Amino acid sequence: MDGPLAAQVATQEDPVTHQTITASQKAKRKAGDGKASRIWLPLAGGVLFFVLWELQIFHRIFDLKTYQLPLPSAIGTTLVKNFDLLVNYAGYTLTEAVLGMLIGSALGFAVALIAAIWPRWGSGGVMIVASLNAVPIVALAPIMNLWFGADIGSRIAIVAFTTMAAMAINAHKGMKMIDPLALDLMHSYAATKFEVFRYVRITSSLPFVFTALKINTTASMIGAIVGEFFFASRGLGYLLSNSIKVAKMPLGWSCIVIAAAAGVLFYLVVERLEKVFIKWHPSQRA
Amino acid sequence: MTESTAALVPEIELEQISMQYPAAFSDVLALQDVSLSIAKGEFVSLLGPSGCGKTTLLRIMADLIQPTGGRIEVAGKSAKEARLAQRYGIVFQNPVLYDWRKVKQNITLPLELKGVKKSEREARAMELLELVGLQKFADQYPWQLSGGMQQRVAIARALAMEPEILLMDEPFSALDEFSRERLNEELLSIWSKVGNTIVFVTHNISEAVFLSDRVFVLSPHPGRLSAVAEISLPRPRTKEMRNSEAFFRLIAQIRDSFEGV
Ligand SMILES: Nc1ncnc2c1ncn2[C@@H]1O[C@H](COP(=O)(O)OP(=O)(O)OP(=O)(O)O)[C@@H](O)[C@H]1O
Ligand SMILES: [Mg+2]
Repeated sequence: MDGPLAAQVATQEDPVTHQTITASQKAKRKAGDGKASRIWLPLAGGVLFFVLWELQIFHRIFDLKTYQLPLPSAIGTTLVKNFDLLVNYAGYTLTEAVLGMLIGSALGFAVALIAAIWPRWGSGGVMIVASLNAVPIVALAPIMNLWFGADIGSRIAIVAFTTMAAMAINAHKGMKMIDPLALDLMHSYAATKFEVFRYVRITSSLPFVFTALKINTTASMIGAIVGEFFFASRGLGYLLSNSIKVAKMPLGWSCIVIAAAAGVLFYLVVERLEKVFIKWHPSQRA
Repeated sequence: MTESTAALVPEIELEQISMQYPAAFSDVLALQDVSLSIAKGEFVSLLGPSGCGKTTLLRIMADLIQPTGGRIEVAGKSAKEARLAQRYGIVFQNPVLYDWRKVKQNITLPLELKGVKKSEREARAMELLELVGLQKFADQYPWQLSGGMQQRVAIARALAMEPEILLMDEPFSALDEFSRERLNEELLSIWSKVGNTIVFVTHNISEAVFLSDRVFVLSPHPGRLSAVAEISLPRPRTKEMRNSEAFFRLIAQIRDSFEGV
């Protein structure tokens, strides 16, 4: 997640290229005819994967013992037995992730806005945010613990820190990448700089903002969980690190399963919001 | 320059306008020493082949680009002052509609910027949509419309403010012959009511003749003014005039001026 920033800047589709969209839709419709291949093939693949795992085929191939990689059945029973605790902790971790991600994304958007309004000041701001993003969570955690205590606040801060850059960089690009003619039109109305932002730049940046939010859903889950490794007394990350320490591998794996499910849920919510807010964008047109 | 019309109050005056785009992009003069004067309330066309500098000239008039040479005055002041006073309505060569605004909201945009009340600007938008025959599409998004329909929305938007100066860059070139002729007539009837100054870019000779008081013929490489044709057809112009001998004679005369280039 501290990887190269370039990878976090998504390339957006040019809003003008409707034609290519319809073409790809046609292709999709054709593929949709084979409903069986679309649903049943991946499902069969998944089932086969778990069967091979349960039958310890993977263990034989990679020379693993079952205490190193627990069997699906063991993970399943542990998950069911500890379900209430796991759901409770998942709620805690998800709260950290969501709040941190909202704060971080809002700060990132503010930096992008400032950078777009006052380029002389702001592009430096984006650079600073980008370099903050390179600070690893291992280094961040003790500092945030010192500032905000061992409770939920420090993880929210960690997540905010690690989600700011993706938003700042993407939103900034979205505010700058505007069709010159769209700006000419505003210019011809003698629109003020403020009006150009209000009527054109901010709306145009929304597809980029949602790309950043989607990147940030996974980043925020990682931030919250890894943040809990250090000083927390609750949460999926806390349980995961402690289970592994005392070699309760099936419980550790249950945490991973629940965390993955929570992450996917978070992502789907953001994707749903994207469909509502930018239904005008080529990427969302039905 | 023809004295008869230009001797009236000049609305737009160009003196020795030249335009050289940055050498990295273009090594040819887009415009060279273009001088012309357009009277208040006059309807003129800029006519010429592709690449002769029509759009460039229009953008200079609109204060969207600055010429590299020469002087431009709009009603005795600079083009910038005219733009800041919101005296222009522009129809670009592409529709330039905002994808996130419905058709109606695209038309109300300039009114919104001017602070017109919501009920008032929506009523005005519906009026204009009816004029361009798109009232049924008010609540669609622009990208749900055909290219020609989008261009009609752009025309309606340019008319929303009843601009004193209307600059139109090949507004009807995406339309079929029937719609084009109908909208030509609509445009003339709006113009006669509003009494604004219109600069109309086209590469269609008969369209230029039918609409204009004068036609400025431009020639390329470098872009310059090669002829000015006075269109003596009486006003109001009617459909029947399209078949008159005078009409065809004017077309032939302008075509000849091209071949002389
Ligand atoms: N932004 C630009 N940068 C560089 N050169 C340009 C630019 N815009 C136009 N030109 C050049 O200036 C010349 C005139 O272009 P312009 O767009 O004014 O032509 P036009 O008469 O409007 O043509 P068309 O009928 O095809 O629209 C062309 O040679 C073109 O290559
Ligand atoms: Mg042009």
